[in-house]
Parts: sequence; C-alpha cells; structure tokens
Amino acid sequence: MSRSIILGQYLPGESLIHRLNPRLKILTLVLILILLFTLETYSALAAFLAFALLLFALAKVPFRYLLRGLRPVLFIALFALVIYFFFTSGGIVLVRIGFITVESEGVIEGLFIVTRLAALVLFSLLVTLTTTPLSLTHGMGYFLKPLRYVGLPAEEVAMIMSVSLRFIPTLMEESQRLMRAQLARGADFETGSIFRKARSLVPLIVPLFVSAFRRADELALAMEARCYRIGAKRTRMHEDVILPRDWAVLAFVIMLLFVTYTFGF
Amino acid sequence: MFIGTEKLTHTYMPGTPFATEALQDVSFNLQQGEFALIIGPSGSGKSTLIQHLNGLLRPTSGRVLFEGIAVGSNKHELLRLRRRIGLVFQIPEEQFFSESVFDEIAFAPRNLGLDESEVEKRVNESLEKVGMQAEKFRNRHPFRLSAGQKRLVAIAAVLSLQPEVLIFDEPTVGLDAISRKNLYNLLTALNQKDGLTVIISTHHLDQAAALADSVLVLNQGRLVMAGPAENIFNKRKQLYELGLTLPPVTEIMHELAEKGLPVKTAVYTLQEARGEIKNMKRRYKP
Repeated sequence: MSRSIILGQYLPGESLIHRLNPRLKILTLVLILILLFTLETYSALAAFLAFALLLFALAKVPFRYLLRGLRPVLFIALFALVIYFFFTSGGIVLVRIGFITVESEGVIEGLFIVTRLAALVLFSLLVTLTTTPLSLTHGMGYFLKPLRYVGLPAEEVAMIMSVSLRFIPTLMEESQRLMRAQLARGADFETGSIFRKARSLVPLIVPLFVSAFRRADELALAMEARCYRIGAKRTRMHEDVILPRDWAVLAFVIMLLFVTYTFGF
Repeated sequence: MFIGTEKLTHTYMPGTPFATEALQDVSFNLQQGEFALIIGPSGSGKSTLIQHLNGLLRPTSGRVLFEGIAVGSNKHELLRLRRRIGLVFQIPEEQFFSESVFDEIAFAPRNLGLDESEVEKRVNESLEKVGMQAEKFRNRHPFRLSAGQKRLVAIAAVLSLQPEVLIFDEPTVGLDAISRKNLYNLLTALNQKDGLTVIISTHHLDQAAALADSVLVLNQGRLVMAGPAENIFNKRKQLYELGLTLPPVTEIMHELAEKGLPVKTAVYTLQEARGEIKNMKRRYKP
C-alpha cells in the first residue's frame, strides 16, 4: 500500500551528467531525440543505444532503474510489435496461421520501431534520473520565456510548476499519514465494491483538501511577505551558469548530429 | 509481557538511495495498566515506533508483541488489534472529514459494523469521557471548535473504539497551557479510573513526568534507556545530553540537592515540591 515516496525520479549523484547545466541538458536531449527520429539504419540505432548505456554507466545509475523506466512503455512496444508483425507485408513469409501471415518486412520494421522507442525512453530517462525536478522546471521555464511575447506568463508558469512539484512529496506523505490515521480508526480501504471503495476515500480526500488549501494559503502569504509580485522581474538565488564543459557537451552533440546526417551510417 | 517489541528494526524506503534506518534493534515490554512515556529528541523514531504498536507500520525485521502474540500475523487479526489498541496521531484534528461532531466520532464504531443504537451510545459515552456534554456538542461542526475542543473530539473519536491500550503521539502539540492541563487530567483519568494502558510519546516532560510509571528513551532510532520513571529521571545529565530537560520543578530540586540540601529529587509537580521543601525545612538544621 504505502510502498515508498518517489521524489520525481531523481537519483542523487555527483557524476558529470548530474552536474551538467539543466538548460543545456534539456536542449541536448531535444537534439538527440530529433536525431533518433531521423535514424534509418539498425547500425546507427545500435550505436546510439550503446551510447545511451555508456551514459547510464557514466552517471552510475543502477541497472534496475533502467529496467524500471522501460517498464511503462512495454505495453506500447508490444502493441506496436503486434501491429507491425501482422499488418506489414513484404519480404518472405515467416509464419502462416490460417489467413494471417507474418512477413519479414514487418518483423524488421517492428523491431526497428521498438528499438527506437527504447532509445528515446532511455535518453529521456537519463535526464529525469540525473536532474532534480526543480532544476528541470527552471530549465523548461527558460525555454518558455520567448512565449511571453505571445501572452504566456512564462515566469509564473514556471513558478506554478515548481510549486506543484515541491508539494507532491508533501501531499503524498500526508495522504499516507492520513490513511494510517483512518486505518487506526477502523477504516477499510481495500474491501467491498467499487462504490464502497470510492466512498471509503472520503475520510482521506476531505482532510487532504483541507490541508492542501491551508498550505496554499500559508504559502501565498509567505510569498507575499517576501514581496513576490506577479509580473515582476525576479532573480534567482542559485544562478544557473553555463560552464565551458556544458558548451563542450553541446558542441559534441551537434557534431554527432552533423556526422550522422552527413554519413548517414 | 503485555505489549512490547523484540529487536524491532524499521527502514524507510529500503533498497533505494533514500533508505533511512528509523529504528534499530528496539526491545522493550510494558505491563497492563501502565502509564508509559516514550521520549527522545525529534527524529529519534518515536512516531515510527508508535505506529508499529498497532500494526500500521510493519517491521523490517524483529517483532511487535501484544499479549505474547506477534502483531500482524494475519489481516483479520490486525483489524481486531486496531480495535483493542487505539492510536491518536499527532495533531489528530487534521483527520476530520465529517460535518458534525457526532459523525466524526461515529466513524470508528460504524467501521466496526455496530448498529446505530450502539454507535449512538458509544459516541455519547466517548464525548462525556473527554468532558464534553454530548447534547451540546454532537451537532456542532468539528472544524468550528476551538483548538482544545478539536483535540478532545479527536481523542473521543478513538475512544469510541473502546480500546484497552491508548497510544498518543505528541498529544499536547499546539495546545495552550489550560488545554494541556485538561488533556493531562483526562489521560490520568483514563489510566487510573478506566484502567487503560496509556503510552505517550513526547519531548515535553513538563506535565507528563509526574504521571509516568515507566519511560523509554529513544535517540537516533535506538532505545538508549528504559525502566521505571524514577530511575530514568535520575539520569539528568544523560537526558540533558540528548536535549531533554526535566520539568523545571525537578530541575530546581536537583539544584537544591547539589547545593547539599537533603531533598529528594524525584519530584515532578509544584505541589509535591512544596511539600518536600516544607518537610526539609522541618528536618534540616544547618
């Protein structure tokens, strides 16, 4: 029931990948994702998969986190495989069951799509595993900035995102505490029909809302007390500086992009 | 042995980089009818220990024993156990969700599947027990009571289970002096009049010290001292090193004794201190 509180997906560490500037991390991720979509050969994809695994090793992420990260896309991957296997024709017939055939083109393309999907997930996973949710949102807020000119309050959106992220673990902890408190009063969250189960959540949801509103109120007051104003220009306590090594990484990825395009493997 | 633990260890989020050992090798046992204190600085594992006693948290290793039987051996047993061992959480009024005091207190007996007349009886009894008139309060909105009244209603909401053991996690947090005093009077009555075994975690010894039969001292997840209250409260220096101070009255008695006056130091209330100093004045000829 109350397994553990996962704070985003972040795994603390000291590796080069952990310390990279979050803005550049996001930018390079986007570049790599675009690159992955344009790859057309197995050899190129294999090279990138190996590259991803190398980065995981560099970031010292335990192998089981990698597997856990891939688990959610397992279903989509299987689905894609089935579709490709049965509905793509071409090449030699491999299996024939009644009027359904599996042909070699389908297998080749299906596996290619799934491998590409795995590579996409692995690179994104690497970023979320090595960057705190807070610096991720700050990074994304930076890229939202230009949208201010079309009327999107970028700073505020970034603030909303980081505040919500900040409260996810708090509320999870609180809901577990409340759940235990109501269990101590004989509550039962597990048995009965769906209707009964939904009703049994009332003693959990009402106090959770009450405390969430109270917290929101207190936070708003605290922010105002520290002169937070909508639309004001804000500076940050931890300036996010781009170091030479960040530029080096970006240059490396751009080079990779270039090489892949020119030689195309 | 009535209630206790054997080599209880609890690790939060085991197997992740966030793993923290909240309890390590904690063993103790308490007798029926005792008034026990669990003291220790914040973060010492008091709340974690308490939540093991009625099976809300499960040990990573070791056992929790109630009447000689390991807690949580099966699920059905757990429900029965939670009926017999009531647990009042820290700031329990944060659990309120009903629109009347009656419904709030009736939650527990209704969960037990009792019929409405028995539920009604239990709600009234519980309210009277915490010193609130049932007629006056049963239809009030629980969110609109004073802080002290809210706390009492929250306690009544657990008393309506009619438990034999009552455990409190920091029962006086956020209450004013009068409400604190009332609360301790209530705890004394529950222990002495109704014969409940009462276990309290706190880091404020001021009022609790006078009531305690036995004391467990936790520090960084380990049980560092355990025994009868007098023995523990005599180790003033060691408690001080853990950031725990005795009630001011007791501190004064210790200082008097250190100055060479023949007073006993196991004195926890003003009244006792007054008597003890009077006695001493009669006996003592410098």
